[in-house]
Amino acid sequence: MKCSKIQKKLSAYQDRELEPSEQEQVRNHLLSCRGCREQFAEFERVWENLGKLEETHPDPWFYPQIVRKIKEPGEHRLFPNLQWVFRLLPAPVIASVLLIIGILAGSYLGSILGRSDLFPFQSNPVSDSPGVLTSMRFFDPAPPGTLAEGYLRMVSYKGSESR
Amino acid sequence: MARIAKGDDDAFEILVSRHQTSVLNLIYRFIGDRTQAKDLSQEVFVRVWQAAKSSEPKAKFTTWIYKITTNLCLNEIKSASRRRWFLFHRSDEDSEKSIEETFSDGSPTAEDLLLSKERTRQISEALQSLPENQRMALILKRYDGLSYQEIAQIIGCSVSAVESLLVRAKRTLQQKLKNFEK
Repeated sequence: MKCSKIQKKLSAYQDRELEPSEQEQVRNHLLSCRGCREQFAEFERVWENLGKLEETHPDPWFYPQIVRKIKEPGEHRLFPNLQWVFRLLPAPVIASVLLIIGILAGSYLGSILGRSDLFPFQSNPVSDSPGVLTSMRFFDPAPPGTLAEGYLRMVSYKGSESR
Repeated sequence: MARIAKGDDDAFEILVSRHQTSVLNLIYRFIGDRTQAKDLSQEVFVRVWQAAKSSEPKAKFTTWIYKITTNLCLNEIKSASRRRWFLFHRSDEDSEKSIEETFSDGSPTAEDLLLSKERTRQISEALQSLPENQRMALILKRYDGLSYQEIAQIIGCSVSAVESLLVRAKRTLQQKLKNFEK
């Protein structure tokens, strides 16, 4: 058998997947052909190196976590009832639809909130009620109800009277 | 499987303990990330539990569970292609931690451990660089010792296609790991 044919069979030979007669033919060829033997040695080296890859082991919580996932399906997922939608549509489509819905909803709500007839108090944004005034002016230099505020009112009253 | 179909928890636990390591390692070697491999392998067993109630596997059980695992891995790779960088990033973090631990430990074999870690990383990277079907065929052959016939059933192709996948995978790895021993 020619080297080109043998080299095509080297991988299957290594994996012991050839017919016994072919396996024997390749083995005999390798004994006499240095080039094919080197190629086979390369495959063996690859196989050996792959064996150096470490193995990982399941932790003790592996099984209990499976049981939890079975008993509480969809618990770890966002919107479990809508999973079929996410599976059906690719993520960019869903993102685009949500963005359009967001823009439309935002502009609609914005137009509603902008209407002054819905919220009459908006004509005077600062309420006159004492509670609101107190809370709004709590951080003023002279908050309402304090001695400083009383003094300032007194001074401004005198000032306006003198005019 | 018949016992599991009837809701026998003990039978399911035995099945999980028998196959958990092979399923976990198949996914870990295919994906290259431990945390994700753990999540996906748990998902495999959830699917086995669900499938046991509705259908009896026609193929050999090992082939059937590997087929579920392979499909899950391929779906995950497709949907996670955007965040693929994260996998390598994470494994790099792992190896960095180990390097630090190795040095702080002061053990006389620190250099050997470091070298071994680096070799493992190189092999893992070479494996991850293979196309999905080649990688899966190679893992199933090298680590699980499956026949070409079984691999063909799992991947869903012909036996000759498996042979061809393995030849290409081995040649690619041969090139990538050429300077490995030096």
